[in-house]
This record gives sequence, C-alpha cells and structure tokens, in this order.
Amino acid sequence: MTTAVTLRGLRKSFGTLETIAGIDLDIEAGTFVSVIGPSGCGKSTLLRVVAGLEPASAGEALVYGEPATSARKHKQVAIVPQHPGLLPWRTVRANASLLLDINQKANRSTTTDPVELLERVGLTKFLDAHPHELSGGMQQRVALVRALALGAPLLAMDEPLAALDEITRSEMRLLINQLVQGRGVTTIFVTHSITEAVALSDRVLVTSPRPARIIADIHIGLTRPRPDDVEDEPRFFDLCNQVRHALHEGAHS
Amino acid sequence: MKGTRFIAPVVGLVIFFAAWEAFVRAFDIRPFVLEAPSRIVHYLLRFPNDYFRAALITMKHAVLGFAVAICIAIFLGAAMAASTFLEQATQPILTLIAVTPFAAYIGSVKIGLGAFSDKPVVFIVALVSLPAFAFAAVDGMRGADPSSRELLASVDASAWEVLWHLRLPSALPSLFTAAKYNTGLALIVAYLAEKGTGGLGEIGTRAFANNQGDRLWATIFAMAILGTISLVLLNLLQRAAMGWHASQRSQHS
Repeated sequence: MTTAVTLRGLRKSFGTLETIAGIDLDIEAGTFVSVIGPSGCGKSTLLRVVAGLEPASAGEALVYGEPATSARKHKQVAIVPQHPGLLPWRTVRANASLLLDINQKANRSTTTDPVELLERVGLTKFLDAHPHELSGGMQQRVALVRALALGAPLLAMDEPLAALDEITRSEMRLLINQLVQGRGVTTIFVTHSITEAVALSDRVLVTSPRPARIIADIHIGLTRPRPDDVEDEPRFFDLCNQVRHALHEGAHS
Repeated sequence: MKGTRFIAPVVGLVIFFAAWEAFVRAFDIRPFVLEAPSRIVHYLLRFPNDYFRAALITMKHAVLGFAVAICIAIFLGAAMAASTFLEQATQPILTLIAVTPFAAYIGSVKIGLGAFSDKPVVFIVALVSLPAFAFAAVDGMRGADPSSRELLASVDASAWEVLWHLRLPSALPSLFTAAKYNTGLALIVAYLAEKGTGGLGEIGTRAFANNQGDRLWATIFAMAILGTISLVLLNLLQRAAMGWHASQRSQHS
C-alpha cells in the first residue's frame, strides 16, 4: 500500500507555546483517519501542518512523498474547514468550482465536475442560489463538494460538522460515507465527536491534551461500504466506548 | 407602507421648494443672494442645451477623477493591506491630502497642468477622492474572511487571485460607502476647478464675477440635479454589484 501521509518527529510551537509534541505517523492511502482529542490540544494545528498551511517547527510532514508545503502547491490536499467559508457573492455553482478556478495550472487530471457532485448531494435546485439562501447543512455540503471537485488525493476536514444540529450531522455522516468511500481518497478528519469518528473512520487517533501526542491508535474494523444503520450495531457501541476510555485516560494521564 | 416610500420624499421636496419660493417672494430677496426656484427653472429651460452640455463636461470631470482615484485606491489598498509598513508610511500622506483645503491649490495645479485643459480638474478630483477610497479599500480588504483566505492559500492562490476573488469583493461595501461620500465632494471640486473648461463651474464662477444671480443659481440647481442623478446611479450600481450583501437584501424585503 502507498503511504499518503508520513509524519516523523513532528513538532510545532507558537513562540513558547508547544502545540504538537513529537508525532510519528503513517497513514495508508485510501483510508479514512479521524483525529479526536480535547479542545485546544493541537488537532487543528496538526491538520494545518499536513495541509501545508503551517510549517513544522521540527521534524517532517510528507504528503505522498513530498513535503506538505510543496504538496499544497500541487493541489494534493483539499480542505473542508469548520465554517463552510463560502464566498457570499458567488453562487452555489461558482462556490463549488472556486478551488478549481484558482491556480488553474496546478489542476489535476482527477478533477470532478462540481455540478455533477452538487446534484449528488441534492443541491440541483440551488445551483444559482447564493449562500445566504442555504441552510447550514446545505452550505457545508457545498464546502464538501468544493473540496471533492478538486480531485486531490488527500482530504483534510477540520470539524466540518461541528456547527450543525444533531439531525443534520447524522445526515452529513451518511453523505460523507457515500461520497468519500470508493473514491480512493485519503481523509484526515478532525473531530470532537466520538460517534462521528467511529462511524466514518478506518482508524481513530486519540490525542493527549496540549501539546498533542497520539495516545491511542484504534482500528475500526466495521465493514465497507458502511451500511446506513452502522450506528445501531453492537460493535459500533463497543468501539465508541473504546475511544471514550482512551480519551479519559489521556485526559488524566 | 410601501407607497409612502415614494410619496414621502416628493411631499418633502414640494414643501421645501414652496417654502423657499414663499421666503424669496415675501422678503423680496435679491436674486444674487437667493433666487426663487420658479425663476431658476425658468432660466434653465431658456437655455437647456447650454446647461446640459456644461453638465456633461462637469460629469466627465467627476467620473474620470473618480475612476482614477478608485483604480489607485484598489492597488494602494491591496498593498497597504498586505504591508503594515507601507500602510504606516502612506497614512500620513493620505491624511495630509484629506485635511489640506483643495481650493487653496487649485490655481497652482491649473497653471502646472494647463489652465484650459481637463487634466488639472481630473487630477484634483482624483486627489481629493483618493483618501476616502484608499482607507475604505484597506479596511474592506483587511476584513476579508480569514477562513476564506486560508482556503485560497490551501490551493496556493497568487496575490492577484486573492485580490480578485476575495479581497476586492470584500471591500465593495466600504468602497460604495466611500463613493457616496465622495460623490458630493467630487462634484464640488470639479465645479470649483473647471474654469476655462466649459463645465457648470465655469458658468457659475463667471456669473458670480459678473453679478448674474439667475445664471449662478441655475448652475447651483443643475449641480444639485447632477449630484442626485449620480447618487441614484451609484445606488443602482451598488444594488446590481452587491445583491448578495445583507445591506442590499434588506432593501428588497
């Protein structure tokens, strides 16, 4: 298997504040990996370093064998931020193609038609609408399409469902599973939600309070493609408990 | 009460002009001090082509000066938003331009750039409009959504792409506010600076020198109409360019 992300001795500090304290990690291509940990522990910083948006203070971060900052320039990483960040003056269709319109010479051969993806996520009737006409869940679906349309081999999601209500979150979990699996895309998904992490992932990495270290690496052996009722399976509850215990142990260690 | 939105301003204006007319007639005010509205209209209608031609020249000066100022302000604003040093170096210059009375240096600029040419008029309009546009551009561009900035950085957007796709649209609301403030100012500057160019200002300053009250007040009236038309056009342009913005949406609801 190809390694999508390689972290070796990764450290990150802002002045005297250490946020990441030495992380070694390999993520196999095509897997879905969640990073879960207490608030402010450095999970988002870790994601930003992998996405090439923040340089590492020490160690290295490689994405498909090249330094993260260089991978960013080659559009190897597509990010889905916590807030959809849709441009209010662009229509849904134009927002979905934003990342393709920028730095066009670096566009990959694997790009997908954003309109086709918008149709898949049920936004056919809203192609010419502006963001203020959409609900929070719909806006986040556009943000997801915007990232997937890029055709990048690595998807970096930073708590994309955090601002949504419980029902919409549950719908979005199903949607992410349907959209991402089978595309061969590697995903790093930062979250606070144990349910989200287990429902979506092949691996769940539990981090310590700041500075972040990986204190548990839990393999989620649930079948792929994930059935829609995966969250009703007894094995699902066991895995949630396993992640919860790891988080508690980390918080009190 | 949708109807009152159009009726109320008309009623207000009718009362204002009626009171003005009554005041001039009742106190027998000299035409040079204050001319009655009925006589101003009568005078304007006697020479409609002359005033229309002169108004077009004044409008040309104001629009060209505006266009030059906006173009400079956008690039200056982008550079100032990107560099604190440049912002700090430029701010005192813009403040000096803003506080120095332009009427005092009109003569010098006209001698320098050609007394009978459009150039000095356009130059002074641009110079006087520049500070408000530049400060508006910097504020608007600095206020661009940080998560959108990061999103563009994630695909290695160039400075030009960030300016075009994010910073400039973000600055539109403040640029339109500055444009509304500058409209009156630009027309005043054009009026005072356009002696020798055939604009309304030339007719007005000559009428003033020759004690011709009706001619003077006809130009003042024409300037007021010009200012009103400019503001209406600006509002229509704003509605067309910023339909996505909350300020424009509330006008429709």
